[in-house]
Amino acid sequence: MLWRLAARNIWRNRRRSLLTLSALVVSSSLLMLALGIFSGMLADMLASATEQYHGHLVISRQGYQSDRDMYAGFSEAPELRENLLAVPEIDEAAPRLRAFGLLSHERSTHPAEVLGVDPARERRVTTLDDRLVAGSYLSAPAQDGVVVGRGLAERLDVDVGEELVFVTQAADGSIGNAILRVTGIFATGDAGQDNGLALVGLPWLQQTMVLPGQLHELALHIAQPTRAAALAAELEDRVLSAELEALAWSDLLPQMREVIASFDVSRMIIVVILYLAAGLGVLNTFFMSVLERTREFGILMAVGMKPWRVRAMVMLETLTLGVLALLIGVAAGLGLTFYMQRVGVDLSGYLTPITYAGGTILPRLRATLEPANILIPALCLLVVCLLAGYLPARRAARLRPVDAIREE
Amino acid sequence: MRFFPFLLLVIVLSWPYAAAAVDLQDLIRKVETQYRGDSSHARVSMEIATAHWSRHLEMESWSYGRDYFLTRILEPPKERGVSTLKIKNEVWNYLPKVDRIIKVPASMMGGSWMGSHITNDDLVKASHVDRDYTFRLLEETADLYRIECLPKPDAAVVWGKLIYTIGKDPVVSRRVEYFDEAMVRVREIRFDEVQQIEDRAIPMRLTVQPLEKTQERTVMRYRSIAFGVDIGPGFFSLRSLKRR
Repeated sequence: MLWRLAARNIWRNRRRSLLTLSALVVSSSLLMLALGIFSGMLADMLASATEQYHGHLVISRQGYQSDRDMYAGFSEAPELRENLLAVPEIDEAAPRLRAFGLLSHERSTHPAEVLGVDPARERRVTTLDDRLVAGSYLSAPAQDGVVVGRGLAERLDVDVGEELVFVTQAADGSIGNAILRVTGIFATGDAGQDNGLALVGLPWLQQTMVLPGQLHELALHIAQPTRAAALAAELEDRVLSAELEALAWSDLLPQMREVIASFDVSRMIIVVILYLAAGLGVLNTFFMSVLERTREFGILMAVGMKPWRVRAMVMLETLTLGVLALLIGVAAGLGLTFYMQRVGVDLSGYLTPITYAGGTILPRLRATLEPANILIPALCLLVVCLLAGYLPARRAARLRPVDAIREE
Repeated sequence: MRFFPFLLLVIVLSWPYAAAAVDLQDLIRKVETQYRGDSSHARVSMEIATAHWSRHLEMESWSYGRDYFLTRILEPPKERGVSTLKIKNEVWNYLPKVDRIIKVPASMMGGSWMGSHITNDDLVKASHVDRDYTFRLLEETADLYRIECLPKPDAAVVWGKLIYTIGKDPVVSRRVEYFDEAMVRVREIRFDEVQQIEDRAIPMRLTVQPLEKTQERTVMRYRSIAFGVDIGPGFFSLRSLKRR
């Protein structure tokens, strides 16, 4: 009976109910969209930070990442790759050897980090091949091709097709030196990479460095980048030998982890502010409706309705509105998020990319669907409705029937 | 005035000592240029040992005054012909495998020379020690001096302090200790196997010892050295660097 009363009460004042409902629907669905776009920006940033250079997860000898000691390498046993690719979350594991030395072209010489990669596997882990501004990516790994950062190419005054000399101290102490041919030039927006990174074929670098068959790291691309830290721990437990360690992007890029933590805080702040406003609106509507119906409540109680039932009835009214708003709001929020995920808004005409904390924020609005971005607003919506319903319900339940009936 | 004769006595007694006090700068210059003379031509072997490898190089080198220095690797065959040219403050390497001359950029002057524990900076700066530092006699015994060298305020040097131990007879370096800017002793070079070459006493063996890595060292040994050879500055050109 309470349900029917509550439903009728909502239906009775359709205009007010619809206004309240629409306020709740609009605020919750827009909030879901805003959070989705926020997540999208963060995903862009995370992708650029991890997929330009590091990869989501990096496997190397214990301690290699802190001093990058040339001798802290390992050989890629075929079963290691098999075991890694057997993990469903891992899409690809790209082998790499890292060297530091001088790159020289005619009269200019600059220090650089030279990364030996397997092009076919590397381009499934990092996206440098999408960042080329001239020439093409490495093709055959055994050949002497090199892809250099734009800043480095400018400093060396070298162009696609021209020669570079690489000089370094090889692993046996000899002076490693060899000629490279520039096949491509990349620009990521990250000054450190553009001014000091060059990619060469892995076998070429192994030979030049006299480190046959050696790797310094395996860079992984995984399905869910946010799961990197958990997956790293699992890999260390189950797959890797004791001398190897797995580091997630959050270990390699601690500043990125802070950006995400601060994002979580700002997300909560936005939710609280928006729902405080929406909640006050709902509270106001229900107080008005309770005040208008003072006589009605008096009569109900005079004919024997218990105060707790009156309270329950008013609470049910708000709850019904809340659930309705929730269903429509989630549907609308999901729809908007999906639309923004598919289509998005391109702002590159108005903005340039911003590099911050190692990640690049692209000039576009594009949403990413994250369960938390729907669940948090939905739960908060219910809580707000119940809270906003409680005060008017309590007032209604405390009315004294005689006074209430007399009230005009 | 009763003290005057005493005072006079003190002055007279200390005078010979003051007169005998050596010109430290001159002494440092002398030991730092002991391998060079006006010009020199030498055969040198270099043994380098690190935690990961050890290797042996045979080299031929020429010098003219302080500013010109050329060295070329004879062995091992893989690196035969790799050459280093130093003119004043600049260093070039010639790499025969790729047939290129590469100038060592300023940022890499602290890097290793030929994989040894000698840096490119050592090649350039060692010849200027007498100009870049101020000197103080720490200790003088019957057969050696210990001299502390502190960099002049405007000198572009990488060390915080040097301590030279120089023998008196013959006058040769025995040991040079290198301190970094935090005044931590990081490296020493020991000199021994002194031989008389022409009119000079020369330590034929140098051991460069990094002190934080005691198992690593570079040992240079002069197999032969001749002074007053007939070469001039023109010998030290980028063209001669490439000459086999």
